[in-house]
Amino acid sequence: MKQEFLLGNGAIALGLLEAGCQIMTSYPGTPSSEILPEVVRFSKAASLNTSIEWSVNEKVAFDNAFAAAISGKRAACCMKMVGLNVAADSFMSSAYIGNIGGLVIISCDDPGPHSSQTEQDSRLMARLAKVPVLDPGSPEEAREMIKFAFDLSEEFQVPVLVRPAIRICHARQNIKYGVLENNLTQADFKREPTRWASTPKFRFVQHKALNEKHLKISERFNSLSPFNMHTLEKGKSYPFGIVTAGVPSSVVQDMFEEYKRAEIPVLKLGAPYPFPEKLADEFMDACDKVLVIEETDTVIEYMLRDKHKTLGRLTGHVPMEGELVPEKIEGILNKALLDCKLSALSDFDCGQQAFELVGGLSLPIRKPTLCPGCPHRASFYSIRKALPKAIFPSDIGCYTLGSNLGVVDTVLDMGAGITMASGFWNAYIQDGVKKSIVATMGDSTFFHSGTTGLINAVYNNSRFILVILDNHITAMTGMQPSITQSDRVDGSKGNAIALETIVKGCGVDYIKVVDPFDTKNMIRTVKDAAQYVDDPDGGIAVIISRHPCVIGFRDLAIPEKIKVYISDECNDCGFCLTRFECPALYRDKETEKTRINEVLCVECGVCLQICPQDAIKRV
Amino acid sequence: MKTTNYVLTGLGGQGILFMTKILATTALNKGYNILGAETHGMAQRGGSVVSHLRIGDARSSLIRAGAADFLLSMDESEAYRYLPYLKKGGKLFANASSKLFPDKRVAAYFEKNEIKSMAMEASGKAMELGSPKSTNLAMVAFYAAFGYGPLKADDLRATVDNMSPGPFKEKNLRIFDLCYETGRQMV
Repeated sequence: MKQEFLLGNGAIALGLLEAGCQIMTSYPGTPSSEILPEVVRFSKAASLNTSIEWSVNEKVAFDNAFAAAISGKRAACCMKMVGLNVAADSFMSSAYIGNIGGLVIISCDDPGPHSSQTEQDSRLMARLAKVPVLDPGSPEEAREMIKFAFDLSEEFQVPVLVRPAIRICHARQNIKYGVLENNLTQADFKREPTRWASTPKFRFVQHKALNEKHLKISERFNSLSPFNMHTLEKGKSYPFGIVTAGVPSSVVQDMFEEYKRAEIPVLKLGAPYPFPEKLADEFMDACDKVLVIEETDTVIEYMLRDKHKTLGRLTGHVPMEGELVPEKIEGILNKALLDCKLSALSDFDCGQQAFELVGGLSLPIRKPTLCPGCPHRASFYSIRKALPKAIFPSDIGCYTLGSNLGVVDTVLDMGAGITMASGFWNAYIQDGVKKSIVATMGDSTFFHSGTTGLINAVYNNSRFILVILDNHITAMTGMQPSITQSDRVDGSKGNAIALETIVKGCGVDYIKVVDPFDTKNMIRTVKDAAQYVDDPDGGIAVIISRHPCVIGFRDLAIPEKIKVYISDECNDCGFCLTRFECPALYRDKETEKTRINEVLCVECGVCLQICPQDAIKRV
Repeated sequence: MKTTNYVLTGLGGQGILFMTKILATTALNKGYNILGAETHGMAQRGGSVVSHLRIGDARSSLIRAGAADFLLSMDESEAYRYLPYLKKGGKLFANASSKLFPDKRVAAYFEKNEIKSMAMEASGKAMELGSPKSTNLAMVAFYAAFGYGPLKADDLRATVDNMSPGPFKEKNLRIFDLCYETGRQMV
């Protein structure tokens, strides 16, 4: 047996391979991104022949996995929870059709949210699709649930969703594991058009069959210890009990142990849907009141039938938004216990006094910023310099942080930088106003969801500038390879696809490639593009702003190290601090002068081009 | 065993995750169970970074406010930001000037809650030794000097020795030894 201090996503990867998963697809997104690379690592170490790919987007990932599963193989695809929105069409349909080999979807939730645009609860997506769902409470449990999910998926021929929350994905735990072996199942697709290509008439039949499967799975979930279990003693009744699941279930169990409150019964529902009715009824019958603590929405709370007995989000005991961090759970438990005339766990104020003290210290606000030397910063600087009055629709990636530079006005979802640009154009042109619009989007996002919007905009005569920020990598989520390069996740070579080719194929005639580190040229190009957009014979202009990510490709990104200093000519106007916002530039607290932090500076030299006084000098 | 809770904080790029790994590996080598929680993604870009490490048999990875035995901070402001996590009687180790730390308003809170704070200018020490990126090691050594908790100085040093790649081994151990000595003089 080996032992590792493994990331939760590593434990999930281990579970996948232990279950004999043969095909694995994904699109990166926090908190799911490390699952696929960990599958690669374990698979390589054990010389398995697992097929592993970063797909172009989550829908593509899903469909690839689905085809493998209906060929009889065990397949999985993983994504962050908003990625499941992108794959939703396939997800819903696949539940009706079903599968042969196990099909497991891992959708990682982000209560908080820490790194996402919503706090949506994937268990609700499972309900909508009528797909069974599992909600792990620890990395080790996630690993076990993955294996169970494959067995369940194969037995009932239905996809199974596992939804680890961020505190599972990015927890670390010491985990032991043994030898991993290849699953030798061969692809064997059996033609059956009434099933695999079913028409609405057969869809009705499939829907009925799915509902029947649900009754059986619900029955199975009634006795699914340790995923679903309660701590009731037979025949005993209780004034108060807890219904919980996922991450909060572990917090509650730890807290009851610490405060020695084992007399409070707990119903844990790690497999909440199809709802284990009998198990839940047993618990509800034995308790006068129950408090429901689940993340992030009211899934279990709605499914419990007796609303007179339940405390939770609907009674205001549990907040409707935000992560249920442990001090919050302690406060929730204390209040609910006191409301039920029982003694609280503690008289602790949940750190309120201390948080207030800290709040009064006026500590520096540390908002996320682009890295020192990031090419996006240079691009944003030039775009704003060239067209300060434009509308700036942008997109999802590191460059969302361009909002700090005043060059990101909107962020909706993957691909909306382009589709909202055409939407803004239409809204203004209706009034006869030719509004200047500059959309920004990263290379990986452009491949994910950019092309359809661009084709639509060209076809419908919209006019705007699109700047594709091509840094050769999917940076925000942890440096996954981009399609513009030929590297695949397992180190093998794929076929790189040039952005120019695609943009041209979408019907765009104006394509310019610039290096954002040359700000003068980029400013000139953006102005030139604006003229083309404005010209009656013009159209949509695309600028590919190409420079490698400074974290992913340090040597390529900084080919020549340019050491800089701030001379006495600096009149401390603050322009560089607000309009360029490089973390390596700071205002000295004592002298109130702008300075360079040499530990953070990567010596890209771009700041030499931006000081209005030319006070930043080369050493 | 009783769970021991460590909160480690600092700024993005200071090597919080490596610092966590040193403590975790040491605990693992002693046969303890460990559970931790990390910061990734958007939250990691330049902002304040926090890592939780629990040694013992806990199920949940996050340490709740008022429950940390130890807070190790590589940045003075971050030491203040996360002090609500310290429990009554907890210990704080900060990369800050021992003369100026803690702030008066905080000192009263510490006294009331029996929190002991220890400060050393770890980044200054690391810089002096020509390795500004090793502030994390300096802080581990400083913590080790006081002998609190289940992780012992010799074991932590052995982990640094094992985990440092060849060319950095000597320098890392020198930083460890020097900061350990600085800490010993304060005990």
